[in-house]
Amino acid sequence: MPIVSIEDVIKIYEGKVTHRALDRLSFDVEEGEFLAVMGPSGSGKTTLLNLISGIDMPTSGKVLIKGTDPSALRPDDLARFRRRELGFVFQDFNLLRMLTVEENIVLPLTLDRLPVAEMDARVKAITARLGLEGILHKRPDEISGGQEQRVAIARALVHRPSIVLADEPTGNLDSNAAREVLDLLGTINRENRTTFIMVTHDPIAASYCDRVLFIKDGAYYNEIHKDDRRRTFFQRILNMLSLLGGNVDDLSSVRLP
Amino acid sequence: MTFRQFAYRNVVRNRRIYAAFFLASVFSVMVFFLYSMLMFHPGIGERFITGITLIGMTAADVVLYVFMLFFLFYSMRAFMQARSGEFALLLQIGMERRQLGKLLLLEMLLLGAASTASGIVLGFAFSKYFFMIVRELLQLPTLPLYVSWEPFLMTAGAFFSLFLLIGLLSAYIVSNRDISEFRKGIGGEADPFGYSPGRAAAGILLLLSSYGAALLAGRVNVLYLSVLLPPAATLGTYYFFSHSILYLLDLFRDQKSLYWKRTRLVSLAETAAKLRDNANMFFIVAIVSTVAFLSVGTLASLATYTAQYRALNPLGLVYESYPGNPHEYEHVTGLMKELENAGLEYTHVPLTVAREESSFSGQPINILREGEVNLLAETLGAGPVQLRPGEAVFLPYSTEAAPRLQDADIQTELEESGVEVHVKGVVGGLLLPAYSLGTNSVVVSETDFVKVASAQTDSLLHIHAFDVPDWEETVGIGLSIEQAMVMSEIQQGEALPYYFKNPGLDYSIIRSTFHLLLLTGLLVAMVFLLAAGSFIYFKLYTMLDRDRRQAAVLKRLGMTEREFIKIVNRQLIPQFFLPWGIAMLHSTFAFISLQAIWKEFADISILNEMALVLVGFTVIQLLYFYLIRWRYLAHVKGPA
Repeated sequence: MPIVSIEDVIKIYEGKVTHRALDRLSFDVEEGEFLAVMGPSGSGKTTLLNLISGIDMPTSGKVLIKGTDPSALRPDDLARFRRRELGFVFQDFNLLRMLTVEENIVLPLTLDRLPVAEMDARVKAITARLGLEGILHKRPDEISGGQEQRVAIARALVHRPSIVLADEPTGNLDSNAAREVLDLLGTINRENRTTFIMVTHDPIAASYCDRVLFIKDGAYYNEIHKDDRRRTFFQRILNMLSLLGGNVDDLSSVRLP
Repeated sequence: MTFRQFAYRNVVRNRRIYAAFFLASVFSVMVFFLYSMLMFHPGIGERFITGITLIGMTAADVVLYVFMLFFLFYSMRAFMQARSGEFALLLQIGMERRQLGKLLLLEMLLLGAASTASGIVLGFAFSKYFFMIVRELLQLPTLPLYVSWEPFLMTAGAFFSLFLLIGLLSAYIVSNRDISEFRKGIGGEADPFGYSPGRAAAGILLLLSSYGAALLAGRVNVLYLSVLLPPAATLGTYYFFSHSILYLLDLFRDQKSLYWKRTRLVSLAETAAKLRDNANMFFIVAIVSTVAFLSVGTLASLATYTAQYRALNPLGLVYESYPGNPHEYEHVTGLMKELENAGLEYTHVPLTVAREESSFSGQPINILREGEVNLLAETLGAGPVQLRPGEAVFLPYSTEAAPRLQDADIQTELEESGVEVHVKGVVGGLLLPAYSLGTNSVVVSETDFVKVASAQTDSLLHIHAFDVPDWEETVGIGLSIEQAMVMSEIQQGEALPYYFKNPGLDYSIIRSTFHLLLLTGLLVAMVFLLAAGSFIYFKLYTMLDRDRRQAAVLKRLGMTEREFIKIVNRQLIPQFFLPWGIAMLHSTFAFISLQAIWKEFADISILNEMALVLVGFTVIQLLYFYLIRWRYLAHVKGPA
């Protein structure tokens, strides 16, 4: 049974100009899968993430996560659902400036009223894994962008969610830091069997995934699966992107060495 | 980290943002506490800490409370606006809305508890000085410090309930919003890039017509004005900041020769953006400052009245005896004895006054005797009059009335005695105040007075005027007579056959009351100004990150220190002096109408006090500006 299933989802934004952000989109994500979602600007990628996390409701169609429809939950249950089942990684990290690294990581557990001893143990485990022990007592302003994103990943994982949603996690990082973060995500995906759904513009980032889903104008366009060598996978992604068209500026011109 | 720790850290580590807000709250609690200390003073009811003091303190406390309600509410909205991104994130990582509400409530209670406690501690520490000042103002022998639970409980209860109310309100507001609403930002629903021409015009029209009406005050019904003007001016100010200014900038933008010039293009666009963002804040600051200026100005103008009191009351004591008064001798000798016992020098001048109807006006007039009036004039240092039989001069009832009477030239017959007199000119200087004789008095020559007096021996008035050089020291003199008068007024019995007035006593009551009110008003105005400053400070801080980045870029581009300060000035000056300028304009026009109203019934000028108050506030504003700019520059240039 798929962990996420999107069935004929339509999302329409009413406004001065009615805008159809998603148009009869359907796909499934299996447990433990690392999925990348690609598409030109305005193709509905972020809207898709908002629907999965229950921040937005679909106009029609169904979103099921572990068999639950987030739009059917009451607000408090939805919040509880999010903080137990979902983890979030953002393009601009979104760490809270006034909290230390450690406090940022522990925040989701705090919201769930876990005992302090349990929280300490979990933080210790995750920070050892991500190599953050040295900076636990620093503020987000005092660490580098790559470190910030790793802290954000620690925060997204500390409560052991079943799905992690990542919105352009490498968008604000240099290529080295980006590769580290992607390697990390890949390792966690393999070892913990955590499901990842990552929205990205960057074909390099996409090439770390099991499957890449392309959407255009809110509708399903195509998908390709990983093969043995990342380099050929990357090339196939690029080919698909050029087929897809869209704004050239959206695509990274950097190729793998 | 528990949930409570999270709330605590949110506040403590953001202390820079909350600093000004905290300061304003602490100061307000302190002032509130000081007033409460006076309200619950065990010595209340003795001497002058009575009626008006109590009312003044209570009113100030109520004003402070209501003001703090609005201040806290607006600050809370501003905080929420600035933190809406953070709230969106918290909700996204799974915080329940109820938890978010609880977080805000906890933070508000934390701030409230801290500022209430600090305010009370500070207030108690300063209460000794406060009492010393009050004692000095009220000229009390002692005003001892006391410890009692009432002021503590009242202040703590009042402010804690206030913070609780605001905390609950913010919890309620926050728990009714979606993530998407927070992402858009609270209060961002109005179109930020537009103004309505109708409202822009309405703003300007409302302000201009309010100013016009203020200029006409005194000629129009004062009551109408006081009801209609403040709301009209407030609405006008609101429209002015939210619409008219943008309209005026747009007009300027059309003048390309002026606008497309060097850096103006950028700086004007930036100013417009800041004005749009901060229109509400400017409005609140302008109104709050106006209220502060006006309350102090009004009280200062009342203090003017006491300064002119002496001019209106040249005599130390006045005792009037009406025909058939059995106590005259007893009272007058009593007063002399009391003056001697108090060691006060005095000159006693008895005056005889006859009353007759004048054929010219058909009104009764008072007739005084040349010799006696000259004696009084000599005592008070005024020039004597020389009258021949048939001649008379007016005795002016106020200094302002003298020039008018000077030009009068009246031929009249005193009807009962049949004496014909020609009234021309006035006695130099004010000798007897209006209350003792009324407004219609003449002095006649000795011969004429004898004729008048012989016609009505049994209906002559006797006025005993006491000139006391140390007239402010006469507070305790004649208290028994004063009390008898008060008693008869309360019992509404027969009118007493005598009247006694001790200007020294009245003066000390008026003076101390006004000064106490002025002190009260000053402290409240301080709270207002601090609060207004705290809005500006908070807005600056929410912008600080962006400004700091901009500063770093500009520095790399090779901008000199002086140019940098110039840019900062250009950003800060509108924020500080635009609301201030409007507040000054409002206050000036309000003072003009106030002057007109004063003129109606007290005939005094408040120009000097007005100028003093406005200049004083300007100086404070300038100091405040340099203080904030100094801190701001330090932060923008300093490390993150």
